Amino acid sequence: MFAGIDVGSLTAEALVIHEGRIVGSEIISVLPNPVDSARVVMDALLSRKGLTWKDLKYTISTGYGREKIQHYGLAQETLSEISCHGSGAHTLDPEVRTIIDIGGQDAKVIKLDAKGGLDDFVMNNKCAAGTGHFLEAMSRALGVGLEDLGPLAMKAKKPIAMSNRCTIYVETEVIHYLQRGASRQDVAGGITMAMADRVVALARRIGPKNKIMITGGVAKNKAVKAALEKALGVKIAYPSLDPQLIGAYGAAVYAARKGGST
Amino acid sequence: MIRQNPMEGILQEAAVLENRYVRKWRHGGGMVVGYTCVATPVEILEAEGVLPYRVRALGAPDTEVADAHLSRFNCSFCRSCLHLGLTGAYDFLDGMIETNGCDHLRGMIENWNYVKDFTFFHYLKVPHIVDQDSMSFFEEELRLYKEAVEKRFGKTLTEEDLWEQIRTQDRIRENLHKIYQLREQENPAVTGAEALMIFLLATAIPSRDLEPILEKIVEDRKDHAFAGVRARLLLGGAATDEIDFVKEIESLGAMVVTDTLCYGARAFRPRPAGNTERDPINVLARAYLGELLCPRMFGDFQSRERFLFDAVKRAKVDGVVLVHNKFCDIHGVDNVALRMSLEKAGIPVLQIEKEYGAKADLGRMRTRFQAFLERIEERHG
Amino acid sequence: MVKKSAGLFNRLSSRLILVDLLPAPVVAKAGPFLASLKVGPPEIHSALAGLFSPQAGEAAAPFIKMIAKWVVNARKAAGRGKKVILVPFNFPTELIHAFESAEPLTSEVLSTLAASCLVGQGEEYWDMAMAMGMPDHLCSANTIELGSMLGCKDFSPQAIISSAPGGCDVNAKMHEFVAHHLDIPHFFLQKPPDDTGRGRKQYGVYLKSLIKKLEAFLGEALREDKLRSVLEKANRCTELHYELFDLQKAVPCPVPNIFSLFLYGTRFTMWGTDEGIKTLEAMVQVSKRRLAEKAYPARREVARCVWAYTSYYWDFLGFFNWMEEQGYSHLGDGLDLYFPSPVDTSTMDSMIEGLAGSAWNMPMTRQVGAESMSKAWTEDMIYAAKNLKADCVIYCGHHSCKQTWSVVSILRSELQRRLGIPLLILQGDSWIKRMTPISVLQQEIDEFVKNVVLNKSRPKRSIKKRRQKKLEAQAAS
Repeated sequence: MFAGIDVGSLTAEALVIHEGRIVGSEIISVLPNPVDSARVVMDALLSRKGLTWKDLKYTISTGYGREKIQHYGLAQETLSEISCHGSGAHTLDPEVRTIIDIGGQDAKVIKLDAKGGLDDFVMNNKCAAGTGHFLEAMSRALGVGLEDLGPLAMKAKKPIAMSNRCTIYVETEVIHYLQRGASRQDVAGGITMAMADRVVALARRIGPKNKIMITGGVAKNKAVKAALEKALGVKIAYPSLDPQLIGAYGAAVYAARKGGST
Repeated sequence: MIRQNPMEGILQEAAVLENRYVRKWRHGGGMVVGYTCVATPVEILEAEGVLPYRVRALGAPDTEVADAHLSRFNCSFCRSCLHLGLTGAYDFLDGMIETNGCDHLRGMIENWNYVKDFTFFHYLKVPHIVDQDSMSFFEEELRLYKEAVEKRFGKTLTEEDLWEQIRTQDRIRENLHKIYQLREQENPAVTGAEALMIFLLATAIPSRDLEPILEKIVEDRKDHAFAGVRARLLLGGAATDEIDFVKEIESLGAMVVTDTLCYGARAFRPRPAGNTERDPINVLARAYLGELLCPRMFGDFQSRERFLFDAVKRAKVDGVVLVHNKFCDIHGVDNVALRMSLEKAGIPVLQIEKEYGAKADLGRMRTRFQAFLERIEERHG
Repeated sequence: MVKKSAGLFNRLSSRLILVDLLPAPVVAKAGPFLASLKVGPPEIHSALAGLFSPQAGEAAAPFIKMIAKWVVNARKAAGRGKKVILVPFNFPTELIHAFESAEPLTSEVLSTLAASCLVGQGEEYWDMAMAMGMPDHLCSANTIELGSMLGCKDFSPQAIISSAPGGCDVNAKMHEFVAHHLDIPHFFLQKPPDDTGRGRKQYGVYLKSLIKKLEAFLGEALREDKLRSVLEKANRCTELHYELFDLQKAVPCPVPNIFSLFLYGTRFTMWGTDEGIKTLEAMVQVSKRRLAEKAYPARREVARCVWAYTSYYWDFLGFFNWMEEQGYSHLGDGLDLYFPSPVDTSTMDSMIEGLAGSAWNMPMTRQVGAESMSKAWTEDMIYAAKNLKADCVIYCGHHSCKQTWSVVSILRSELQRRLGIPLLILQGDSWIKRMTPISVLQQEIDEFVKNVVLNKSRPKRSIKKRRQKKLEAQAAS
C-alpha cells in the first residue's frame, strides 16, 4: 500500500492506493498543527479500511507542513504540491497538459509535458483575489452560503462586470450593485467572472495548453469552471476523483513509483 | 549534506553590521564611509585611509521607522537599510557616498540625509550608458569624488597611492575569483551561503584584514568537496544580501554554485590589468563603468546575458533562479528578458518576486524552490 | 486559446481617422451630441462628456483634432516614406517634428487615450504584459501601450528613443525591453543627476550625440530652416502656455480642470505645430471668456488644488468634472510643470542648445531626474502653489511612481513648513481603475477639503472678536 497526505490551509486529505487502484480516501478540516492533521486524517482512513500504518510501504507528504510531517515519521518523503497535483491529474487523464488548482488560500497553474513531467508553474499565494477566500468573502457580502454561490451564478442572465481586482473593493461593488437593485444572480455571475479573470491572468503567465483540468476545492463551483471556460475559450476537464483529493492522490502515485509499485 | 563549517567564526562577522574589524578600525581612529553600489571605486577611499563599507540590511525585517519616510511602494531592501540608518545601527559611519544606482536607492539616501544629515556626503553620479561621452563624464566624476574625499579626510592622493590600491583590489578580486572557482567546480568546495557571507565580509572590513582571510579560505577549501548535491543552481537578480534566503534554497539539497548578483559575482569581475602608464583614474573609470553589469545600464543587455550564460556553462548549472525584490523594476523587467533567453536555450529557470527580509515569504519561496528542483530532477530522469 | 485582441494603436487610429477627416466645426458639434446620447459603455460616455463638456468649450474640437492628426500621421507614415519614432512623454517631440522623414508617437499619451476612450480602457494590454511575466509594479502609463505592442499584432514603431534613464527606471526599462524583444533600434538620452552647469553641459553633449544618431538612422540631416520653423512655433506654444498659467492665478480659476490634461497632451505630442498652437489658443480663449464672465462651474470655488504629479485618466467625468462641480479647481499637475523657455532660433547651435534646455525641463526629468528629487520637486510645487494661490496639494499616489513615492514625505513636510498648506496622499493607479475606485478617491478628496483644507483657511477668531460679533448681531436684531 502506498499513501499520500496533503495538508492544506483549510483541509487535510489522505489517500491510499494498492496496485494502482484507490483503496480509500479521507478529507477533514485542518487542525492547528499540521502533524496532528496528518495523523488524524490518516488514522480515520486507515481505521475505516481496517488498515494500520504498518500496511503503508511508502508515504509522501505534501502541502503546508509537509516537512514537519516527514520529520515526525508519518511520511518517508516530501514532494511539492505542484508536482503532486501534476502527477495526480496526469495519472487520471494522460492527456492533461495544464492544471488549474484553486484552493482556499492560493491558486496554482501547472503545465506538464507529454510524459506528465513538470514543465512550468505559477502560484499566487499572497493575494486573496482568485482564491477560495475571495468567494467566501463575496458569498458573505451576497448573503448566501458558499455552496450556494455557484448555483446562483449559473442562473445569471447578465453577469455584472466588476471593475476592481482587490477583494475589498469588489465587496464594496457587490453591495453597491445590490443596493441599486441588481439581481443576486447577476451579481453572483459577476463575482465568478472576476474570479475567473484573476485566475486566467495567472494562467497566462505560463501559456496554458490543452487539455486543461481544474482541481482544488473551488473546482466544485460549476460557475467558476464555466467562467474559466469562457475566458479561456476551451472546455475544461473535471477530474474523475474529488478535486480536493488530487494532491493526495498524486502524492500516493509518486509514493508507489518511489516505493516500487506492485 | 553540508558538513561542519570551519570558517564559522570568521564568517559570523558577516552576519552583523558593525563587525569586530570595523570596531577595531574605529577604535584605532579609523574612519568608515558607507556606499551603496558596486559602481563606487573603493580604491579612492582605501587610498585615503578610510574604510569603505557597503551598506546592507542582512535581511533585517523591520522597516517601521523607514516607512514614515519611504513608502510601501519602495523596495523593502532600501526600507530595511533606511530603518537601520535612522535607528542608529549605522552610526558607526562617518559619511556616505551616494550613487544613482536606482530610484529606490536615491530615495533612501535623500530621506536618510534629510532626517539625519551625514557628516560627510558625496554624490557620485554614474552614467546609465557606456560610450565615449559617458566615460569622459564619469572620469571627471571620479576626480570630483577623489577631491571631495581628500578635502574631507585631509590626505592628497598621489597616483602611486591609487595604483597601490588598484593592485590591492586586484589581488582581492583574484582571490574572490578563486573562491568562486571552488564553488563552481564539479564537487563544490564552498556553498552559496558561504560565498555570500565571504562577499559580505569582503565589503565590510579593511583590505589588510581581508587579504589573509581570503587566502586562508582558498587554502582551507582547496581539497574540500560537498557531495550529494541535488541540483546545481545559479542565483541571479536583485540585491540579495539575505544569507537565510540562500540557505533556504540549499537546505533542500541544492547548491547555489554560482551567481550573477551584485552582492556577488558582478561586483568583482576580473578587470583589465592596470597599466601604470595610464592615469589610474582612467583605469578606474573603465573598470567601474565599462564593466558595470547591472540592469540600470542601458543598451547593454547582451553583456548581462552573456555573463549569465557564461556562468551557466562554466559552472555546469542545472537551473537558474532569477529573483527580484518586490518593486524592483530594473531587475523585475530584466529578469523577464533573461528568463526568455534561458527558456529558449532550454535551461530550466525559476523567476520569482519576493519580499525582502520577510520570514513569511520564505515559506512560500520554499514550495517554489522544491517544485523547481523536482522539475530539474525529472528532466535528468 | 486565450482570446487575441486588436492592438491599441490600430483600434485608436481606426477611430481617429474619421475625426481627422471631419472638419473641426462638425467635430465640435458631434462630440457633445454623442456625449449627450449616453450610449455605449460608461467609460466612453465619461471620455466624451469630459472632453466635450461645457467647461472645455471650443477647445475640445481642436484638441481632439490635434490628437487625431498626431495619431493618423503615424498611421500613414510608412505610406509617406516616413519612420515612426516612439518616445516617452519626457522627450521634446518638436525635435522629431523637425525631421521630414519622421513622426513621433508618445507611449504615455497612447496609454492615456486607451484608458479614457477605448472600450476595456486598455486593461487587456496591461494583462498581456503581465502574461509575459512582467511584475505588476510596472507603470501602466507606458505598459498599457507597450503591452499592446508585445501582445498583439499591433503597429510597431521603427525606433524607440528613451529619455528616461536618469529620470525613471521603470519607464526606461520597459521601453528597453520592448525594443529588445521586438528588435527595434533603440536610442537614448540619459539625464545626469547633476544640476550644475557641468551636468547641463553634459546633457547637451548627449543630445547632440542623439541627433547625430537619428540623422544616421533616418538618412536625413536635420535642417536649420526646418528646425527654426518648428521651434518658432514651439515658442508661440510657450507664450500661450504662460498665458494660461497667468490666467490660472485668477480667483476663481477660469481655466477648466481638464485643460491641465489638454496642456500636457499638447506638450507631449504636437508642440511646435500649427495644431498645437490652435489648441492652446482655443484654451486661452475659453479661459479668458470665463474670466471676463466670472463664470465658474460650481456656485463658488471652494478649494484650489495643485496636483503634485499625475492625475487620474480613466474617468474624466468622475475626476475633472466632478471636482469642478464640487468647486475644487484643479490647477494643473506635475506634468504641466515643464517651464518652457523661448528658444533662441538665430543659429543651429542656439536652437540645439535651446532644445537641450527644453528636454532638461520636461516633467519628470526636471523633478525626479534632478540631483535631489525632493528638492527639485518641492521647489516646483512651492512655486506652483504660491503663484497659483493654491490651498492645498494633492498627490495622486500612482502606485508605480517609485521616485515620487520615495520623497513625498519630504514634500509634505516642506509644504507645511514653508507654505503652511496641507498635502493629501492618495493611492491608486492613474491609468487603471482596478486599483482604487473613483468613488473612494472622490470621498477622500471631499473629506480632505472639508475637514482639512477649509479648516485651515478659516481664520481663528479671538474671544474679543467673538464678543464683538455677538454684540453687533444683538444690536442688529
